[in-house]
Order: sequence, then C-alpha cells, then structure tokens
Amino acid sequence: MSSSPTLASRLKGRSELGVALLLGAAGVLVLVDAIALVTPYSKSDPVGPKTLPYLVAGLLIVCAIMLAVNVLRGGQGEAEGGEDVDLTHPADWKTVLPLAGAFVANILLIDWAGWVISGTVLFWGSAWALGSRHYIRDGIIAVALSVLTFYGFYLGLGIPLPAGLLAGVL
Amino acid sequence: MDVFSSLMDGFATALTPMNFLYAVIGVLLGTAVGVLPGLGPAMTVALLLPVTYVLEPTSAFIMFAGIYYGGMYGGSTTSILLNTPGESSSVVTAIEGNKMAKAGRAAQALATAAIGSFVAGTIGTALLAVFAPIVVKFAVSLGSPSYFAIMVLALLAVTAVLGSSRLRGFASLGLGLAIGLVGIDSVTGQRRLTFGQPLLADGLDIVVVAVAIFAVGEALWVAAHLRRNPLQVIPVGRPWMGKEDWKRSWKPWLRGTAFGFPFGALPAGGAEIPTFLSYVTEKRLSKHPEEFGHGAIEGVAGPEAANNAAAAGTMTPLLALGLPTNATAAVMLAAFTSYGIQPGPQLFASQGPLVWALIASLFIGNFLLLIINLPLAPLWAKLLQLPRPYLYAGILFFATLGAYSVNLQAFDLVLLLVLGALGFMMRRFGLPVLPLILGVILGPRIEGQLRKTLQLSAGDPAGLWSEPIAVGVYVLIALILLWPFLFKLIRRNRPAAMPAGILAKSGSSEPTDAGGSGSHGSHRADATSGGDGDGDG
Amino acid sequence: MTIVVGYVPTPEGEAALTQAISEARKSNTTLLVINSSKGDALVDNRYAQEPEIQSIEDRLATQGIDHVIKQPVRGHDAAAEVLDAAEEHNADLIVIGLRRRTPVGKLIMGSTSQRILLEADCPVLAVKAGMAG
Repeated sequence: MSSSPTLASRLKGRSELGVALLLGAAGVLVLVDAIALVTPYSKSDPVGPKTLPYLVAGLLIVCAIMLAVNVLRGGQGEAEGGEDVDLTHPADWKTVLPLAGAFVANILLIDWAGWVISGTVLFWGSAWALGSRHYIRDGIIAVALSVLTFYGFYLGLGIPLPAGLLAGVL
Repeated sequence: MDVFSSLMDGFATALTPMNFLYAVIGVLLGTAVGVLPGLGPAMTVALLLPVTYVLEPTSAFIMFAGIYYGGMYGGSTTSILLNTPGESSSVVTAIEGNKMAKAGRAAQALATAAIGSFVAGTIGTALLAVFAPIVVKFAVSLGSPSYFAIMVLALLAVTAVLGSSRLRGFASLGLGLAIGLVGIDSVTGQRRLTFGQPLLADGLDIVVVAVAIFAVGEALWVAAHLRRNPLQVIPVGRPWMGKEDWKRSWKPWLRGTAFGFPFGALPAGGAEIPTFLSYVTEKRLSKHPEEFGHGAIEGVAGPEAANNAAAAGTMTPLLALGLPTNATAAVMLAAFTSYGIQPGPQLFASQGPLVWALIASLFIGNFLLLIINLPLAPLWAKLLQLPRPYLYAGILFFATLGAYSVNLQAFDLVLLLVLGALGFMMRRFGLPVLPLILGVILGPRIEGQLRKTLQLSAGDPAGLWSEPIAVGVYVLIALILLWPFLFKLIRRNRPAAMPAGILAKSGSSEPTDAGGSGSHGSHRADATSGGDGDGDG
Repeated sequence: MTIVVGYVPTPEGEAALTQAISEARKSNTTLLVINSSKGDALVDNRYAQEPEIQSIEDRLATQGIDHVIKQPVRGHDAAAEVLDAAEEHNADLIVIGLRRRTPVGKLIMGSTSQRILLEADCPVLAVKAGMAG
C-alpha cells in the first residue's frame, strides 16, 4: 500500500506493528491447528471442534490487519496509566530485564534447589533490580519470606513445595 | 425458601468464627491492596486463588468478597489523600476529594466516602439479595440459545464499550479466546493448540493466566515506568463529619446508589459511567455549585456511593447468570470454576447455602469496613511509604508461589513469564486486559452452549434464534456493534445539538479527561518543574 | 562560600531552615537548601511539594538571600545528598535539624544527622525544633 522509501520511514517508531504481527501469527497458528483437526461426522455434535477455532483465527487475523492499517495511518494504543506509573519516561529496560532475569533464575532453580533457595533468589534479585541497595536487609526479608511460605504452604495448606538441596534440613 | 430466611441462614454460616475471621482478613487485605499503589482487587484475588485448593469454598468467597469491597474503599483513600486514582472508578472521587483534603477537610472527605460506601454497599447488597433470585427465576427458563446469546453479549459489550479503542479490545478478546481453546476438546477428545506438549493437554490453568496477566504483567509494567517524584500524603486524623456535612451527604449517597447499582449489574456497565453521572447530577442539584472544583462534599459522597453500589450490582449477573462484568468478578468466576462449581442460575439451587453466605458476608464486609477503617485511616496512609522494591518484589514472589503451587511444575512458571510478558505488551500498546480474561473464561462455555444449541436443533442454525430472549439479545448486540456508526450518523446530521454529552463522553472512555486528570496532570507538571529546579542548581 | 541546609517539612526542618537563614544573612553567603528523597516509595512525607518549595522560595527572596533550592531524587539517602552538596559547593557550614530518637529507633533506622556530623568536612550546626533564632 505504500512505496518502499516511505515504508521505511513509516515503520520507524511503529513498534506497535509488532503487536499486529503477533496477532497475525497467533491467528495463523490457530488456523493451522484447526485445519489439522478431524471432524467425525456426528449428529450429536453438528458444530464440531473446528468451528470456534476458525472463528477465533478469523477474528485474530482481521484484527491484525486492521491494527496494522490503523498503526500505519498513525493510530496509537494508549499506554496504561496508574497510581505508580509515570508515562513521561520511556520504558526502563534496566529495571525490567534484571527483573525478568530473577524470574528466570527462579524457574531454573526451583525444582533442583528447592523453593526456599529459588524464592530467596527471586525476591532478593527483584528487590535489587528495582533499586534496593540494602543487601543484607533484603536478604533477611527474602529468606524469611521463603522459609515462612515454605512452612506455611506445607503445614497450613498441605502443599509440599520442593525442598530441593535443603531436603534434609527443612 | 424465601429470600429472608435464606439470607438469615447465610448470616448463620458467615458468622461462624472461622468465616468471620476470613471476612476480617479479606476486608483488611482488600483495603491494604486498594491503598497500595500497583495492586488492585483483581490482582489480589488472583494471587489468592491457590488458597481455593484447600479452603472451604464458602470461606474463600467470604474472603474474596471482603477483598472486593475493601479494594474499593482503599482506592478512594488514595484518591482523596494523594490525588492518584488507582482505578478509573475512583477518578471522579479524586476531583473533589483531593481538593477537600488540600483545604484541610481530609477527615470529612474520608468520612463521607466511607459512610457513603457503607450506605451504598448495604443498599446495593440488599438489592442484590432481592433481585438475584428474580433474575435466577427468569434465567432458569432460558435454554442454551438464550445463554449463548447472553454470553456473546457480555463478551462483546465489554470489548466494544469499555476501553478507548474497540479494535484493540477485539484483538485482546481474540487472544483470550485463543488461550481458552488450548487443551483437549471436551466433545471429540482431540487436542487443540497443544503442539504435542502433554502439559498443555488440560488447557492453561486459569489461575496461571489470571496471575500472569494481572500480577506479573502489571508488576513488570510498573517496574518499567516507576514514578520518580515522590508525593506527599496529606496528613489526616480520624475521619469524622459535622452536622452540616451529614446534611449535605445523605442525598448524594442515595442518588449515587441509584446510579451505581443498575450500571454495575449491566454487562460492560462498570463503575466509571455511574460515578461520572453522579458527579454531574450532584453538581447540578447542589445548593453550593460554586464549591464544585474547590472541594464540594457532595462530589465525594455521590460518586463514592455510586462506585460501591456498582460493585454490589456486579455481583448480580455474576451470581445469577455466571456473567462477570469486571475484572475482579472475572477472577472470582475463575475461583468458582476451580471449585468445580458451575456459576449460573443453577448456582442458587445447587449451592444455595454458599451463595447466601456470600451475600450475607457482603453485608458483614461492608459493616466491618466502616468500623475497622474509620479509625485506621491514618495507618493506611502510612502504608504508602512502603518501599517499592519490596512491594513489587513481593508481588512477583507471591505470583510465582501461587502459580507454582497449582500443579507444582516449573512449566507453569514458564507460562507465567510468557503470559506476563503478554500482559506487559498489552499495557504498553493499549490493549485492554479485561476482554482477554473474559475470553479465556467464557470462551469454552460459549462453545459448549453453541454446541448444545445446534445439537438440539439437529444442526439447523435457526436453532440459535429459537427463543425470543435470544432474538432480543441479538438485536442488542447489533446495536452495540453498530453504535459508533449510528453515532457518527447522528452527529453528522445534527452537528450542533450534541448535549447527549455525558454518556457519550464517558462512554468514549476518557473520563480521565473530565477533570480528574486535569488536576492530576497539573500536579505532575508541578513535580517536573521542581525537578527542573534541580538541573539549574 | 555557601551554607548548606538539609530541609525536611517538619518542625526540626523548619528550625534548621530558620537558623540557616539567619546564618546566611549574618555572613552574607549563598544558601543551598537540600530537600531530597530516595524516591523508592509512592509517598515520602519528607519530600516537600511544590507549594512548600514556593513558599520557601518567596521567603528567601523577600529576605534578599542568594539561594539555590535542590530536590535531588537519585536513590541516595538524605545524609549522602547533604554531604554531596556540601562537598560540591565547598560549604562553610552545614545546618541540620535534630529530632529525638530512641536508641532502638536509631539502631534500626540509622541516623541521618549522626552520619552528617561524623562525615562532614566542615562545621555542622545542629538545631532542635523550636530552638532556632
């Protein structure tokens, strides 16, 4: 719909096109998956397992196209505000990425090292990512929270969180 | 059994020491999260969903009800003392409430908000107790075709009416429906969207989805945009009101309730429109219109009452039809589902004691809010000084814990992170979250009703409109979908005569422009100019 | 030639400011007012808002004092901000307000004034609420 030189300029600052791409990909995924389903002929189920996926895929793809058009025409999603949100700054990846890192560390550690260790890493790492520099105080809070929730879930809710490396100790 | 005796039984259940304790916990927790920045009732209920695996359903819902009402109350406290409305429904409260507080009348503003919430919540809950059984009586006569239509209406209404961009609403809905598709198809036993991953065969756990979208997504989003300039909370003693304040407050409370309840009960009604309507009405009826914009107590009393009455109204379709109309109700519906309880008209028959205990606990929660929170207001204000690293690290910690404890598998945490990233992206690009959650929850049920309907009609699509209610609902759906076009048409024909203003204005979902953010914006500007001062020095 | 005052919107802070103003008038030097926040919470009651800053601004202007008001929010604690400013501007004097703290409170929270007293490279004048003259 637009010639190549202007396309490049139009793409600039339009990261929202990524959303359209994601929607489109999701739509295609649903569509491909739905095609692979078999519909057994059945009087008791005239709708079959494919109908809703087809509708959803259609909805997603139409939304993807319309969103792409909307964005290229200068439309913009309104970022969500909040009490503790200051939209005047751009996204602060220096906070978000370490935060995600702490989260991933927890995923990798939880089954092997156990909740008490992985939870401590998660809390301490998150607090650090968010700018806390009271290393010792953060550590004490992190350990206390992890141990308390471990026993709380085990004794109170009957849910055995993994003990991992500390299996003999806890 | 008639309503009254059922309700009395409900009180008997809700007032057992354990359940009463859960009500107190719920109310305290709800107020705390309402006050704390970045936490809302929907997120809190989502974080607490894991406890549903061990708690009695009755106790869990009593606690959730407390959180729901408490969250509303806590939200108004921050709007008044800080002028930072956390939820769109407390934007209007902030307009006059913060002005009152700045003029040294914080105590009165908090008092009229609290007492008004109590009055509205109590009346609203009474209306719920009266109307829900009537709706149920009507609803049990409905067949699958009508149900299908009503659920589609609920989805489309939330998607099309709320939020600033319908397109983005539908995109969010599509994503939600797609997430809802994951898992084994209940009729044919085929796996949909599982990509050969056996862990996906049971579908995505709604707990994981809700926690990811509401808690992880929100925490990441806030972390990326932390407010730098700290605010100062307006000091407040114990809330109280003088005789004159009472005289000026009681009518707005009642009118606010009248606005709030019906809107709360409507799909996509929400609390924004009634709070705004109440504000405008009070401004018009007030004997002191000149005080509006400078801290008129009516402007706090009315909208706060409307807000809480809407919360009570929301419970009506949730309990009677199984239809959630806002985020918190959606998460509560997820909690019902995780107990294997089918919400809907059968709920009153099959789970009568539970439902009535829940309604009774709403009365109790309201009362507790009043007597606990009036004296505690200064304490709640202190809560705002909690350092952010602990607050958001805590949210992530408990989100992880909650999602993991569902199945004790690390795979759920991967999903949590992926969906949390999706939640982050949605907030970044203005995709509303509610349609997604509703899509996940209602999608499978809509499919079920659709199949049932066509099964009954032996595959004839005419079966879809075989009931008069269904036809009526489809007309309504058509109206909602075509509304923007009709609206444009009307506007084009009568460009000058557009004072239909109020609804249109707030319907276009920019109630923030109505003045709340006007003052908010200026506040922020102040803060920045202070910051500029640093640079010069 | 500067006087640095650590300001907080409390009686102690007011006392410090009043004292600092009279010192600045006496020696006819620049007054540097520091009101900082770590900025790690939504609310910090020790961080002055615009109207308060404005009124200090007016007060200093009417008294004809050469002044700079700074409100750094950089995640550092108040002591570090005051010491930083003092070093940067080669301060002759730091004025701070003292508040009574129980030994236990001091143990847990640490003491901003204590740190400034111990680490400052210039004379420090400590004032208690209601003592300024």
